[in-house]
Amino acid sequence: MPEPYKRSRSLRRLQVKVSGGRTALHYKKRKPGKAKCSNCETLLKSVPRERPLKMHKLPKTKKRPERPYGGNLCSKCMRSLIIEKARLQ
Amino acid sequence: MIEIGRLCLKIAGRDAGLKCIIVDVLDDKFVLIDGETRRRKCNILHLEPLKDTIKIKKKASHEDVKKEFEKLGLKSRETKPKQKTEKPRKKRKTSEQLRTQKEEKKKLMDIFKKKKEDTTGSKVKEKERSGLEEKAGLVEEKKEAKIKGNRPKKGKKKDSEKETKPAKEQ
Repeated sequence: MPEPYKRSRSLRRLQVKVSGGRTALHYKKRKPGKAKCSNCETLLKSVPRERPLKMHKLPKTKKRPERPYGGNLCSKCMRSLIIEKARLQ
Repeated sequence: MIEIGRLCLKIAGRDAGLKCIIVDVLDDKFVLIDGETRRRKCNILHLEPLKDTIKIKKKASHEDVKKEFEKLGLKSRETKPKQKTEKPRKKRKTSEQLRTQKEEKKKLMDIFKKKKEDTTGSKVKEKERSGLEEKAGLVEEKKEAKIKGNRPKKGKKKDSEKETKPAKEQ
């Protein structure tokens, strides 16, 4: 009988081909959810879906689009926000 | 709305949110912009025209735009020109250089070897000594010697040796 934490489905299961030729079951932590626009909740593009450790290793330019509000707002919402601010002035 | 000298806001890309001036109209879609943003070709859809206009020549240089921006109280973008540097190329070492390198390595290796021998050798000797002393029963003698050393202050040196031995036996 495997350990209790392996019996629950909180870890994801991976069939890994081991160097010995057999396939083994590996347990890994699940990835976080996809990044969403904080305004309209559409999925953001070019924001990787990785665990914090792997995100930490990535360069800054690969974690979010390089524009104001990149990684937080989608491009449409960002545009409308900038235009609104300009018109209020 | 889209004309030379019109102040605009850039909406898209990494320069989004920055102000710029239309310097030239290239097409019915594209214009040349300059100012807080980079000097570049830009789609009209990526610009939000503002109220102000500035009198400027067609295809005005970056310096002219800079002067006009200073009057408005805005800072134009400044890029530092990169110094041209050549790529460092690898050169093959001559045979003499290789020889000297080898000799230096050998010297270093010899030093390390000597150090290792010293450290390992001394440790072994100490261990051997302690082991041998225990085997021979020299440790007990040392204790006696300490007692001998303390006592002679009271009595004479020759007598002290005779007195200590019987005391332990009792």
